[in-house]
Amino acid sequence: MRIVIAEDDALLREGLALLLRAESLDVVATADGPDGFLAAVDEHRPDVAIVDVRMPPTHTDEGVRAAVEARRRQPELAVLVLSAYVEQAFATELLAGGARGLGYLLKERVGRVEEFLGALHRVAGGGTAIDPEVVAQLLTRSRPDAGLDRLSAREREVLALMAEGLGNAAIAARLVVTDGAVHKHIRSIFAKLDLPPTDAADRRVTAVLRYLDAVRR
Amino acid sequence: MPLAPPSLAPAPAGASRGLRPAAVRAGRDTLNALEQLGGGLGTALLALALLLWVLVVTLACLVGVGVLLVPGALRLVHGLADRERARLGRWGPDVLGPDAAPTSLRDPAARRELTWLAGAATGGLAWTFAGVALPVYAVRDLTFPLWWPLLPPGEDSRPWWWSVDTWTGVAAVALLGLGWAALTVGATPGMARLHARAARRLLSPPPGTDLSLRVAELTATRAAALDAHVAELRRIERSLHDGTQNRLVTTTVLLGAARRSLARDPAATDELLERAQDAAEQALAELRSVARGILPPVLVDRGLAGALSGLAASSPVPCTVDVDVPVRCPASVEATAWFVAAEAMTNVARHSGATAARVTVRLRAGRLHLAVTDDGRGGAVEGGGSGLTGVRRRVQAHDGELTLTSPPGGPTTLEVALSCGS
Repeated sequence: MRIVIAEDDALLREGLALLLRAESLDVVATADGPDGFLAAVDEHRPDVAIVDVRMPPTHTDEGVRAAVEARRRQPELAVLVLSAYVEQAFATELLAGGARGLGYLLKERVGRVEEFLGALHRVAGGGTAIDPEVVAQLLTRSRPDAGLDRLSAREREVLALMAEGLGNAAIAARLVVTDGAVHKHIRSIFAKLDLPPTDAADRRVTAVLRYLDAVRR
Repeated sequence: MPLAPPSLAPAPAGASRGLRPAAVRAGRDTLNALEQLGGGLGTALLALALLLWVLVVTLACLVGVGVLLVPGALRLVHGLADRERARLGRWGPDVLGPDAAPTSLRDPAARRELTWLAGAATGGLAWTFAGVALPVYAVRDLTFPLWWPLLPPGEDSRPWWWSVDTWTGVAAVALLGLGWAALTVGATPGMARLHARAARRLLSPPPGTDLSLRVAELTATRAAALDAHVAELRRIERSLHDGTQNRLVTTTVLLGAARRSLARDPAATDELLERAQDAAEQALAELRSVARGILPPVLVDRGLAGALSGLAASSPVPCTVDVDVPVRCPASVEATAWFVAAEAMTNVARHSGATAARVTVRLRAGRLHLAVTDDGRGGAVEGGGSGLTGVRRRVQAHDGELTLTSPPGGPTTLEVALSCGS
């Protein structure tokens, strides 16, 4: 997995690179600002980009804009955005281009190395990794959606965990139910959202997108 | 003399300790009073010239042509009145006048300014002249014994209307000089106060009439205060998110890496842990600096003098601090004064190339005056990353003024006056 890191804080940038290299991941370039990041993406064509939201010159949302631009140039690029705090506007802007291969995590999640690496691999594989805090914030602001309204409370819970990017086994463990029960819930969600039985992974992503769509409107 | 009563000075040594500050204060008060009276005398002389012109214009009006000259004369009167308002404002609270010159005699503001002009050119002139003459007489008569013997015989040497030709007479003149000196010290502060009070009464808007000027000014400074406040909060948010939080995230990243390497490569773990500890220590250092930037704890504990001494001690440029403020000012005023001094000292260290700096703080007429002077290369300007724009906003929020004097070649002086609200 070829990775580009964009982080303006030198110590944190080195720390991240050190952590990922110790895990035998291929950090091909690091950048300290949006311009350097876009140049590195063009040059190295990485699989995944890890991008900090606040970067020079204004330290506001340069990272989000750079990530959106990088995905416009290279649609297959998976992006994991790291943020100092949860901001729904950032999530909305990122998701506007689709949730495939997209992650939005609070910075401190990086310290939980296994979970962070899991999220990184999910995103690289085209999945999503949305921070539980983001999902929780989006949930409290959700707007009505005919399909989503038909979901039971449990099904909504399962869908929220899917949005976080968890697999069936992980969802089952989190909700303390069997894998079979999770399968049943997910089938029911697909049915209620009128998603035709094509590729399972695609349906999953579509369901999550629909969910995130509903909550961001 | 306003010496401490005996009950407050039980030991003789105490009395002698109390004498010197009292003498120093009396001397300073006298010098301040003379400076004020001298400034008043300057205005009064200009007022006399202007009054003569106004009389000429009035006479010309009788034959008709003067009417055309009235607006110009009123503008001149307004200009001089504004000059005097600014001068009075330097020695006490601001004096607000109409911001545009009155154009017609029907305007009450014009009549008030003309009344002031007449008063300043007559009574004001006599009063300030007397005030300035006192020390001149004192010096001349006190030094009379020194230069009387040097006068060529036959020269008219009488300092007053009687002639002096014996040493007894000379001694009497010297004694008279002592009287003038006592009168200078004893009376000029009161004379300056009375003069300022009379001028203020005539130059301020009539009571209860035009408060809209003041309201407009307060609205503007209030908006500036809120702006300064938001900018300050933004700065704090930034240093927390971009500094402290990043250090802590780095710590957790390194700790996470250390845990992972524990099984794989125990030798590398120690290095990772050390780096994690470094990052955590940096986070603490940044937290400390953020907290100090919000409000330096020493300011609360030790007051402005203590906080400024600390500032001077940590400055790379040798710096002396001279604070003479007998009372504590409101906390927000002290904090602003401290920030101004801190910003100025940062500029001194960074840009001035100075070898010495001096911080002076005084309380005059309910205003806290802070001056930071250095002997550097000068040429300092606002903007250009000197942080002075932010300082000016903070100062205006306290109804204060900021003056930067920095000719090329130095010295540079930053002066700030803050309203203490007392």
